[in-house]
Amino acid sequence: MDVQSNNFIPAARIAIRDPQLQAALHASSTNSTRARAESLFAFGREHGEHMREQAAEAKRRALRRLPDLLERAEARMQANGMRVLWAEDAAEARRLVLDVIERHGARRIVKSKSTLTEEIDLNTALEDGGLDVLETDLGAYIVQIAGEHPSHIVGPALHMSKDTIRDLFVRELAMPPTDDAEQMTQFVRERLRQAFLGADLGICGGNFLIAETGSLCLSTNEGNGRMVTTLPRVLVALVGIEKVIESVDDFTTLAQMLARSNNGQVMTVYTQMIHGPRRPGETDGPEELYVILVDNGRSRIYGTGYAEALACIRCGACLNACPVYRSAGGHAYGWIYSGPIGAVITPLLAGLEHATPLPYASSLCGKCKDICPVRIDLPRMLLDLRHDLVTQGHSPALWSLGLHGWAAVSGAARLFSLARRGLRWGLRLVPNRLPGPLDGWTRYRDLPPAAPQSFYELWQERQKTRDHE
Amino acid sequence: MVPVDDRSGAALRARFAREAEKLGCAVHIADTSAQGVQQVLDLLGGDPAILSWDFEHIPLPGLAAALDEAGIRRVADDPGVRVGITGADAGLAGTGSLVLTTGAGKPRLASLLPPVHVAVLETGRIVPHFEAWAEQQRANGAHLDAGGTIVLIGGPSRTGDIANIPVRGVHGPGAVHVIIV
Repeated sequence: MDVQSNNFIPAARIAIRDPQLQAALHASSTNSTRARAESLFAFGREHGEHMREQAAEAKRRALRRLPDLLERAEARMQANGMRVLWAEDAAEARRLVLDVIERHGARRIVKSKSTLTEEIDLNTALEDGGLDVLETDLGAYIVQIAGEHPSHIVGPALHMSKDTIRDLFVRELAMPPTDDAEQMTQFVRERLRQAFLGADLGICGGNFLIAETGSLCLSTNEGNGRMVTTLPRVLVALVGIEKVIESVDDFTTLAQMLARSNNGQVMTVYTQMIHGPRRPGETDGPEELYVILVDNGRSRIYGTGYAEALACIRCGACLNACPVYRSAGGHAYGWIYSGPIGAVITPLLAGLEHATPLPYASSLCGKCKDICPVRIDLPRMLLDLRHDLVTQGHSPALWSLGLHGWAAVSGAARLFSLARRGLRWGLRLVPNRLPGPLDGWTRYRDLPPAAPQSFYELWQERQKTRDHE
Repeated sequence: MVPVDDRSGAALRARFAREAEKLGCAVHIADTSAQGVQQVLDLLGGDPAILSWDFEHIPLPGLAAALDEAGIRRVADDPGVRVGITGADAGLAGTGSLVLTTGAGKPRLASLLPPVHVAVLETGRIVPHFEAWAEQQRANGAHLDAGGTIVLIGGPSRTGDIANIPVRGVHGPGAVHVIIV
């Protein structure tokens, strides 16, 4: 999808007035945040914090050794019979997938949810190639049928109510009308079962890649991830290069942190470690297994002060905790990544000029940093991005003019003193509401009255009396 | 890691059962093989066919003969079959997870396609947690990547994708029975 993040303000304004969306956001983020706290701190706060420290350290260590770990992972995966390909950008990743599809003459493709494939707009490329592509995660399937995009990295359809989904299924899939979520799910199960059995190629993502063992790790709940990685003859996994971790021990920690941070599960229902294609004597599993390691801007970020954003394990906790996300919802952010992490990585991946409002889509309250399972300092990076916006000339002209004026005045003592005195008199003449664009400052608060004496004057007086003593 | 203080066999079994039930598994304790076989037959309730692992990988001596006698066939990948039977490489007490590795005679589909999964787990294979299991594999000199795929299973397949309403049995089994022998 095209990056539409520059529309954040109007899109958020519309979202805030959508009662159905507001109800859905409230319910899902409140539930997830509460469940996360209950499960993370089930054995006491200290225990939970220690687990978090361990997870943060595992990802930091992996990032420090990233180039080395990627090479080790590649060698292990190849030794286990996987074919490893590298894609520098989205276009190359799409081309590699299409090449594999063509080589194996595949027509019917089933996918298990992968945010990376959204990032590189893979489905559009496959559909343009005349291929049948079916999302099989229930939420991703709903969004695909509706012709929409996921609004949350973990719950793609959580912006939709049950009624909306029911009507969609009745209209698009001729589902016998029912109001029961279980029956709706059963209906999808039966439809997709046929698709799984008839598919000749599966596409999945990867939550982690273990360098020690070459394991492709997937954490899922519905079972579609296992179907996609078991039934089709050929499997293609697309994995961001930042997903590599060092050891199985790190994985045991991170797999448990991911599930807890996402929705409070101790582990996801299925935690898979895949070590290559079907082996001699086995009757199922893919015969060919490709892993495409995708860079798409990640190594560029790696060399900057934003490298720690690459530690993200995509649990969605910072979205659920963020007061801005909870009001604006995921779609307002204009691309696939939303919430605080989206406000940081969208400008980094898609270009700051395509996402100028996002660094400001935060009150810097710090909840995202508090809740992050790997302790990413999101507020610090939001501030740095604001700095970049200014230095790269992306800030509004009036804003820059004001700040330049302020810098000039406060840099010269005489001018500052003059302005201070002038302001005290001037303030008496100014109405309580400022006109034009300045009203943003006064619409919800009163202009403060000037103190009878400024701090500077008080200070000087005090110095004088001291001198006399 | 999840703290597991009492690591005696009985305590681990009790903890595993408690955690697995929390996840929605039905846990059955079989004191003898004969009892375990009977529990499997009860769960089959007269079904004509099953998906399953090779019987040498299911720690229930007498199961093959009993199924034979009851006229229950083992089929390869018939999607209409209701029950899949597997063994388990390990049980993780702290999180109630089953560890299944694949290989010859241990097909992935037996724990995936049918709506009901029956796993037979030996008490001696229950370890405190995921970390302890990984440690044990390493100590035994077993390469974790020697098996094709490792899957940890924590209860029935589930989703909350329709308006956060929890639903069991999406694409994987909606019911998981663990028979501990």
